[in-house]
Amino acid sequence: MPSPDASLWRTLRPWLSLLGQRRRRLILGGLLMAVTLVSAIGLLALSGWFITATALTGLLLTAGVAAALDVYVPGGGIRLFAVTRTVSRYVERLYNHDTVLRLLADLRSRLFAVLSGLDSHALSRRRASDWLNRLTADIDTLDSLYLRLLAPALVALLAILGLAAFLALWSPRVGMAIGSLLLVGWVWLTAGQARLGMAASHRQVRDLERLRGRLIEQLQGLAELEAYGSLGDHCARLAAIESRLYRDQRRLGQWVSLGNALASIVVGLAMLLALWLASQAWRTELLSGPLMVMMPLAVLAIGEALVALPAAFTWLGATWAAAERLNALEAQQRGAAKAHPSPRLPGGPLSVTLEAVTLTHAGALIPALAGVSLQLGPGERLALCGASGAGKSSVAGLLTRQLTPESGDVRLGGVALEAWPTAALADRVALLTQQTDLFDASLAANLRLGDPQASEARLWHVLAMVELADWADALPQGLASRVGEGGRRLSGGQARRVALARLLLREPDLVVLDEPFAGLDAATAACLAARLDAWLVGRTVIYLVHQLGDSVDPPGIDQRRILREGRLCKTAQGVSG
Amino acid sequence: MDAPDAATGALTARRYLRDLAAGERRRLRLAILAGTAAGLLTIAQLMLLARFISRLLIDGASLSELMPVLAGLLALLVLRALALYLQETLAQAASLRIRRRARHALLDHLARLGPVRLSARHSASLANQLVEQVEALDGYFARFQPQLGLAVLVPLSILLAVLWLDWLAALFLLISAPLIPLFMALVGMGAAQLNREQFAAVARLSGHFIDRVRGITTLQLFGRTAQATREVHAAADDYRQRSMRVLRLAFLSSAVLEFFASVAIAVMAIYVGFGLLGYIEYGPADELTLFGGLLVLLLAPEFFQPLRSLSQHYHDRAAALGAAEGLVALLNEIPDAQRLSGGAAPAPLHDRLVELEAVSVEHAGRGRVLGPVDLTLAAGEVVAVTGPSGVGKSTLLQLLAGFIAPASGSIRVAEGLSLAWMDQRPLLIQGSLADNLRLAAPDASAAEMRGALGRAGLGELLATLPRGIETHLGERGVGLSGGQAQRLALARVFLSQAPLVLLDEPTASLDAETEGYLIEALQALADEGRALVIATHHPALMALAKRRLSLEAQATVQEASHDALA
Repeated sequence: MPSPDASLWRTLRPWLSLLGQRRRRLILGGLLMAVTLVSAIGLLALSGWFITATALTGLLLTAGVAAALDVYVPGGGIRLFAVTRTVSRYVERLYNHDTVLRLLADLRSRLFAVLSGLDSHALSRRRASDWLNRLTADIDTLDSLYLRLLAPALVALLAILGLAAFLALWSPRVGMAIGSLLLVGWVWLTAGQARLGMAASHRQVRDLERLRGRLIEQLQGLAELEAYGSLGDHCARLAAIESRLYRDQRRLGQWVSLGNALASIVVGLAMLLALWLASQAWRTELLSGPLMVMMPLAVLAIGEALVALPAAFTWLGATWAAAERLNALEAQQRGAAKAHPSPRLPGGPLSVTLEAVTLTHAGALIPALAGVSLQLGPGERLALCGASGAGKSSVAGLLTRQLTPESGDVRLGGVALEAWPTAALADRVALLTQQTDLFDASLAANLRLGDPQASEARLWHVLAMVELADWADALPQGLASRVGEGGRRLSGGQARRVALARLLLREPDLVVLDEPFAGLDAATAACLAARLDAWLVGRTVIYLVHQLGDSVDPPGIDQRRILREGRLCKTAQGVSG
Repeated sequence: MDAPDAATGALTARRYLRDLAAGERRRLRLAILAGTAAGLLTIAQLMLLARFISRLLIDGASLSELMPVLAGLLALLVLRALALYLQETLAQAASLRIRRRARHALLDHLARLGPVRLSARHSASLANQLVEQVEALDGYFARFQPQLGLAVLVPLSILLAVLWLDWLAALFLLISAPLIPLFMALVGMGAAQLNREQFAAVARLSGHFIDRVRGITTLQLFGRTAQATREVHAAADDYRQRSMRVLRLAFLSSAVLEFFASVAIAVMAIYVGFGLLGYIEYGPADELTLFGGLLVLLLAPEFFQPLRSLSQHYHDRAAALGAAEGLVALLNEIPDAQRLSGGAAPAPLHDRLVELEAVSVEHAGRGRVLGPVDLTLAAGEVVAVTGPSGVGKSTLLQLLAGFIAPASGSIRVAEGLSLAWMDQRPLLIQGSLADNLRLAAPDASAAEMRGALGRAGLGELLATLPRGIETHLGERGVGLSGGQAQRLALARVFLSQAPLVLLDEPTASLDAETEGYLIEALQALADEGRALVIATHHPALMALAKRRLSLEAQATVQEASHDALA
């Protein structure tokens, strides 16, 4: 592990500065917390003072000495503190919860902006739902940075200083002593506990992740594990991870308990110190009796401010780890586009040139594309065939700049791909991906991804093109029907056609279609092929298909090439049929 | 933990949590005991504090006379910290053991359900359940359960102490005592509602976020990421506004508790103060001393403290109940009884490996999916199982592997028969190539493993790897193509020496080259004298087989020898 302090600070800084954007809310929330605490301290301290004062006055009265005590001001004070403590606690919880939710919105949109800047290299391994769950968990962890760590620690510090100053008003000696003792305690309960738990809590999420990975292996591979009789061995691997996870948890739990015990000792010791010093001061008549009683009671009440610190800070490593992972995501963002002089982009259908392109995915043992060269004139249609994993999707990724080649050149319309402005590229190159991504929104909203300004009539028109108009018309809510998470309420074939319809709303000059007819029956496919043929006129087209001649082929193929294990085959023999 | 069986009815979330707690009753009780001790020590500590003040101010005792009281306070302080430490660590240890036990029970249960039953579920979300939902039980056992006991015992002790001091003050607390269950219900209801709303809303919001992240490539391709970012923010902000409406009410319940705790102090202070001044003529007030008055004041907040803690831990309970519901749904799936007892009877069968006699398989809700089938498999035989998809080819293989049990008929298996399995999605574990191979043969030597990789057609790849068989594969086999993964699974088959090899559509989704290689390799396996059963509709694989078992709809079976087909 790197030197904790410097790198912890560096890791958390971007998130602290994000918090800083809501500085005023955070300060106000902290102040509300402080008011609650001051009321609690004031309530107990003033009550102690009052009881002692009344007892001493009562004694005098019983002894027949004329004495008077104003009971209304302290009585009013006690009632006031009781009310402010309740009200400020309620308002504080409400206000700070609101703040936390605002921070959540900030964090989410920031992370989303980061993710949208990632290319496929970085994204490809980040699709699994467990990864997404971890991402949201990390965001939630950082979300509590303010409410769990920053605010309680700062409010406790302020309360300690405030209490010391308050006590020093009557007895500087007591104020100094109590302030010093509590400060030492505060440093231990925050920094000390954090250091104690750093390594173990930093490891927690990673170990949970490993446990999850092994569990997925075991569940997915149960057939093989059972057949080979190696389930026991695999369970042992799982148990080893679990043991370490729980060893760390036990240690962290013990440290938190230690912290809590120390917090109670620190407060208790401070209370005894205040009692002893105040008694001495009373003996030498530097303090009145009621004030002498008030001091230890005020110290006792500050315990509330320290109670939450040990647990939060012992687990600081987990927050650190979450921030590290999110920072690592940001670091993967595409480097700012190199300043290319904005090139003159040709109009109309785009020619495509790949020259000796080699591409290796992160962590792969062999390249996904090796020395691939091909040439496609404007308006031509190419069918690129190959088994899954042969590299077809990598070609699609290259042309949409989702992937960057290690070596070789990619040119669109004669212009180097890296020189294309992002907006122009997104505008003129369209890709129907193999995986259909629909969003949990209405059918219309999903379609309008292709053209936000599209009129309803146009939506119906493209739906008719993909043979879905009758189906959509029969839906109770028509275009406003929601498609469900990932388009789950639609069948695979319907989702595929909605994705295609979405593409038909655009006017691209290069169209890449990955298995355009996958999951469709032959009749529908044939119907679609004819309409697609018309729409594709005047555009350059690349079809990515498993094999030609299986059922309905995409229309108007001019060129056929075969990809096998990342290499283009020399001839096009045996492509069809 | 009780086995969920039909006789006692389905397991419920509450009963599940209770059963889990029962396994660690001793530790949890000790934790409550330690917590109660800490509560009693608090009372003693406050008592000494009040005594110290009263002796000093009223009796005029000197500081040196009070040294023993101070020493006593110091000792109590340490003891109380110790009791707190014990309470927390004991509860923590109980929670750890409970979670470990729960996870093991779940894993055993899933293993009993077997690969076929599990295939209906998404393994990532199952794994998530086994990790997250089991971990979500922590707060319930480590904090809520002990606090539930303490919330009764500690206030009761304090009430007794106050009663001994001043019955009128005790009456104040007692009046609030019947209200405590009311507060608890109030707090509970508030927290439960809060949690339900929060859970649902958080899930919706996360769903929205994950939905957009999952489709981020599409958003990039359509150039709509900026708009989507704004939507993400808007959704989160909308969630904030809606949940604030709920929270305004939900926080009231804890505010009520806070209010009573504050009012108790204020009421005690004013009652005691006026009593000491002699303003209160009624009841025990005129006998009040500074000692009694201070102690009553100091005890009042402690009376409510355990309840406030309980309300803080209430969300732990809700989280655990939510998690338990998910886990119980898993546990309530009843494993196939016959599969457990081993549907196949081991028997000495001479040179035959397996005998199926009029065996049929039924799946819940789908009726009969296979059979009745008769099949006798001799050592070294190669059988192709063919037929249209959905006819039960995989089911037959699963039956032979023992993953499922027959509904009727009998299976006899040669004693000590080991088998090898290969399907379209080979298992790749995170670890080295060697780790992956050792799944099939734990004691294989490096040379044997290299040999097996070579025979499976991975020799060329192996030669390019500087670390050889110690090369690490990423999570879920990242780094290998689909064809390579299939060859690795094949290498496992070579390494295993199992006399019976079951292959479920081994060539699906392979390119022609890998496919050709695989067929050659299977021929080599057959030449070694291993029996192969291959579910396939690939002509080349069928040609490999001497026998062909053709399954057809309506569960009829036709068997033909290779010669008859040719």
